[in-house]
Amino acid sequence: MAAIQASKSSTPLLKDELDIVIPTIRNLDFLEMWRPFFQPYHLIIVQDGDPSKTINVPEGFDYELYNRNDINKILGPKASCISFKDSACRCFGYMVSKKKYIFTIDDDCFVAKDPTGKEINALEQHIKNLLSPSSPFFFNTLYDPYRDGADFVRGYPFSLREGVPTAVSHGLWLNIPDYDAPTQLVKPRERNTRYVDAVMTIPKGTLFPMCGMNLGFNRELIGPAMYFGLMGDGQPIGRYDDMWAGWCTKVICDHLGLGIKTGLPYIWHSKASNPFVNLKKEYKGIYWQEELIPFFQSVTLPKDCTTVQKCYLELAKQVKAKLGKVDEYFNKLADAMVTWIEAWDELNPSTGLANGSAK
Amino acid sequence: MTTPVTPVTPPLKDELDIVIPTIRNLDFLEMWRPFFQPYHLIIVQDGDPSKKINVPEGFDYELYNRNDINRILGPKASCISFKDSACRCFGFMVSKKKYIYTIDDDCFVAKDPTGKEINALQQHIHNLLAPSTPFFFNTLYDPYREGADFVRGYPFSMREGVPTAISHGLWLNIPDYDAPTQLVKPRERNTRYVDAVMTIPKGTLFPMCGMNLGFDRELIGPAMYFGLMGDGQPIGRYDDMWAGWCAKVICDHLSLGVKTGLPYIWHSKASNPFVNLKKEYKGIYWQEEIIPFFQKVAFSKESTTVQKCYIELSKMVKEKLSPVDPYFQKLADAMVTWIEAWEELNTPAKSAPVANSDPKKK
Repeated sequence: MAAIQASKSSTPLLKDELDIVIPTIRNLDFLEMWRPFFQPYHLIIVQDGDPSKTINVPEGFDYELYNRNDINKILGPKASCISFKDSACRCFGYMVSKKKYIFTIDDDCFVAKDPTGKEINALEQHIKNLLSPSSPFFFNTLYDPYRDGADFVRGYPFSLREGVPTAVSHGLWLNIPDYDAPTQLVKPRERNTRYVDAVMTIPKGTLFPMCGMNLGFNRELIGPAMYFGLMGDGQPIGRYDDMWAGWCTKVICDHLGLGIKTGLPYIWHSKASNPFVNLKKEYKGIYWQEELIPFFQSVTLPKDCTTVQKCYLELAKQVKAKLGKVDEYFNKLADAMVTWIEAWDELNPSTGLANGSAK
Repeated sequence: MTTPVTPVTPPLKDELDIVIPTIRNLDFLEMWRPFFQPYHLIIVQDGDPSKKINVPEGFDYELYNRNDINRILGPKASCISFKDSACRCFGFMVSKKKYIYTIDDDCFVAKDPTGKEINALQQHIHNLLAPSTPFFFNTLYDPYREGADFVRGYPFSMREGVPTAISHGLWLNIPDYDAPTQLVKPRERNTRYVDAVMTIPKGTLFPMCGMNLGFDRELIGPAMYFGLMGDGQPIGRYDDMWAGWCAKVICDHLSLGVKTGLPYIWHSKASNPFVNLKKEYKGIYWQEEIIPFFQKVAFSKESTTVQKCYIELSKMVKEKLSPVDPYFQKLADAMVTWIEAWEELNTPAKSAPVANSDPKKK
């Protein structure tokens, strides 16, 4: 069955409907390698750290750049919800974007090759993932049934074959795997060399660890849930920003009947962060996680939460009620979640969409 | 995987039976010889018992035809399907081993992308001997595989995993499609080798195919009843599906794991889609009721063994699915008969109650 492949010379898919959000503190040289795939798209650079430093963006890219001064200017007091000195600040880019789709990538992520030696256009694969449905209600043993050369298998209920809209596309990493500090300390030499040629939907009711290094999502469907929390400067925790966003997003997607995919595409992750520094950042998270996961596993959202914002505000209430006793941090976080939604709605006045039926 | 220089004993050589249902011949075993010969085979001969099934030389096996099944089970033989590969579950019942591997007679050795022949049995054994992780999805798939691990954000308290009850393998070449899909896409072949094993999360159902399947008989055997199919029954090609849905809800309740993915076998024969449509026809509609039923199944705390879960499940089937069709009443009764037969044949309480339904994990 022939795939209808957009030829390389035709308009890149979603050229005017997708922004690429990149948090950075140093430079954007890595974009040179991505140029063939990224250049048609608009970039939103979120500059973390010292705002007086000039970030060099390679020639020929169309971009807008925001440093901390810009964030403070645009959000005023609400800027308190945006992390400082942590890549969690990237979510400011989601908020100011005017596009339907977001792809976010870290500045130490490069183009990977598939087993045939061909360079992987990660963005194109994310777009494919986002434009085809998900299948969260029943596991398909041949993985993504909408992929070329695959389908639903015998025993898959027919009424579930239409699928649901895909809200998030979670890509993976070759070379340096995304391990936590203890694992990095114990296995400093491990590299991910296994190319798994699959995309799959994470089933409803199942949580997962969402990594922000190589991530696409439909901003209109799920944007307000993609808040990356309070991390970095002045905060007791780090390296749980994307995890937090992922758990919030997953329970909301499950509630609204939206899908989350994981698997392809791979990028090449080049830099191993310092495990000693990481352990400091993650330390509290190692213990808090044990409370957070049962919390998210037992979240239920009321039927009248029919938009992402309503779900998110309800979630903030539950975070305050149930996690406030774990640590005072969660009271602050719950408040910041509300601030985030207020800021989101201010900057995006018309996106109060009812996204699918509450289940 | 490193291969030892000197020959070592095949893993689980005396702890695993290979169960093969057949109606024709077992020539396919020739190709599997290097991988299967050390193991004991249980052949379940379906169809005409007077026909002689040729087993290639050198294999250690026991063979049961319909006369044997009737003799051994007496009236309880009614629960074992006739003229359908569902009869294979008789082999699960009579086995005395801890592990079962079952394979269809049109499944051959596949090659991985490097061209190397895949020892499917060995991979199933790896899968069964390593824990599962049903409570949280690991984005790098099986964390116990060489070169992989749990990723950042995976709770540490869940990294011990749970015992693996089932290892569900896949198929290259002819994919396991239902009749409508076969009719619509007769030329489609599965050429994609996905190098992953993963745990199917708790609370999620899946379509379990019996073509290339391993399981821990001691952990989950009594749930692997393949239902009433074939001769005299209104439905076919839902045997393994039924067993899979029952087994999954029981595994979820008892905190056992179900894996899917590697290994691949090469599925050579496309069954006739017109025949398949006749067999599946009612199932296409019944499925729509069956799935919500399984999705809502909740066991009582007293169901602490597979058998207890299964009996409770049969009661729920009778109560909730009989309105769909009287077939389900028969099936519920057959489920009970199956357990009675299982207990008779496997009496010394080797099945220590798997009392690991931890309330916290619910």
